[in-house]
Amino acid sequence: MQFMKPAFRNGFHCYTVSRSLLFTLNPNPFFASSFRPISRFSSSMATTDDSSAPALSLEKQFGEFRTQLEESGTLRDRIRTVVSEIESTTRLMYASILLVHHSRPTPELFEKAKIQIHVLKEKYELLADILRECPGQYYRYHGDWRSETQSVVSMLTFMHWLETGQLLEHKQAEEKLGLNSLEFSLDVEDYLVGVCFMSNELPRYVVNQVTAGDYDCPRKVLKFLTELHAAFRMLNLRNDFLRKKFDGMKYDLRKVEEVYYDVKIRGLTPNGESVGNQGTEGQS
Amino acid sequence: MLRITVSSSLHRLSLFMASDKPQRLHQIAGTNFQTTTKRARTMTTATLTTTDSAMKEAFSKYAEYLNNLNDKRERVVKASRDITMNSKKVIFQVHRLSKYNKVEVLEKAEKDLAAVTNQYVSRLVKELQGTDFWKLRRAYSPGIQEYVEAATFCSFCKNGTLLKLDEINSTLLPLSDPSLQPLQINILDYLLGLADLTGELMRLAIGRISDGELEFAEKICSFARDIYRELTLVVPHMDDSYDMKTKMDTMLQSVMKIENACFSVHVRGSEYIPLLGSNDPSSFLVGIPDIEL
Repeated sequence: MQFMKPAFRNGFHCYTVSRSLLFTLNPNPFFASSFRPISRFSSSMATTDDSSAPALSLEKQFGEFRTQLEESGTLRDRIRTVVSEIESTTRLMYASILLVHHSRPTPELFEKAKIQIHVLKEKYELLADILRECPGQYYRYHGDWRSETQSVVSMLTFMHWLETGQLLEHKQAEEKLGLNSLEFSLDVEDYLVGVCFMSNELPRYVVNQVTAGDYDCPRKVLKFLTELHAAFRMLNLRNDFLRKKFDGMKYDLRKVEEVYYDVKIRGLTPNGESVGNQGTEGQS
Repeated sequence: MLRITVSSSLHRLSLFMASDKPQRLHQIAGTNFQTTTKRARTMTTATLTTTDSAMKEAFSKYAEYLNNLNDKRERVVKASRDITMNSKKVIFQVHRLSKYNKVEVLEKAEKDLAAVTNQYVSRLVKELQGTDFWKLRRAYSPGIQEYVEAATFCSFCKNGTLLKLDEINSTLLPLSDPSLQPLQINILDYLLGLADLTGELMRLAIGRISDGELEFAEKICSFARDIYRELTLVVPHMDDSYDMKTKMDTMLQSVMKIENACFSVHVRGSEYIPLLGSNDPSSFLVGIPDIEL
């Protein structure tokens, strides 16, 4: 073993030193002569004193960070206040739109909901004003209004569809909310998620309309939803929230197909011959 | 149902072709890209019935938007990964320093860091314009954090002070076109990078103690403590403080490790420290019993 020692020493001396320094007290009296108590540390104390100037500048930088972060925090609070107003407005609007499930849709019903659209437009104007204070940071705070905006879009598209039978496009949605400025626009992904939410509403609508006696409704809804689903398949989605919502859309489609099938098989459709192409596809 | 699947797969095929082309061309020339998308769009609508073409038209716009966004995100993620990898190399290079080769090692590290800045960070700068800076933050944040870590680590070993955010940002200024908005690292990424720095400082401190550079270790200790203390005040104000809170815990661990190491040397090690500096470790090792090895 003796001949191994020098090589071992050279290779591992760093390791042994650290180990012995940290974990063992060397008992060898030979070293007692060179024992210089804490002299090293007193000198290092001096170095910390030297570094008091950088420590000051360190403090200064972090102080600046703190004020900047606090500023963005207050901005965020202001945004959240507006967003919570948007949310409560949306809830009012939703409550009035939900009446379509109770009976056939009436113009008065839309009037009531449309008042809320104006309120929403004002709120989004407020939000845009706040964001004008920090240009280019739309996406920094995006998460604060994201889900609320998605529900707003779903509401708008649903209403638009009820009225016109068409899908409200992104641009039209932006116009309705007055979001056509460069600084504050409607994020396309938010719009698409909103459209997916809207499709979730359709199965229930179909069921209730049929119950209320509108037997042609399933055909229309099925046609629209089939188109919408096909259009969504044009998108190359990532594995994100939108993808998940889109995947859920096929269940809405299936439910509507089932309702249509039920109505058709019992001969309840107004006149069986005039059923459109899309409808026949969905039925089989 | 059969007809649906046939038409949809046809559809998907045409879409696939449509979406594939612009992706490939779009890096070659912007003008080419424009025309291909137009052609692609007419191609898609040609296969469809006319009733729903308006919806398809709108959706092809969204598809184009999403494709561009995803491509960009992918490029940013790649750039970020390259930055991470190469910044790590810089950090390893700094760890190679010892008492005798400090100057050369740090010179090399600085050169490597400059290469990271010029080669990889500049790629990010080109991608992140306007709102993308915040929109894609999640895609590039890890790389920037690592870069901040490497830059501050390097600078601490050289100057013994903290490299400030302004200083890092001023090195990034020349990378971007003067007409464009320059990329500036934001406070959040800087702070997240600093939080990681303590881990490296801990490793460095332990290494320095083993090497007998106790003054340096003490300096690292007080530096790490300062950073930790300052961060405790800032963290509650950060946007996504969850990430940062876990980092603060590990940070405290690191700081305590450095303190404990310094403590051990302080209490027990002071006897043989002078010998470590004497360039003759063998004479000292003779005294260690075999069991220790």
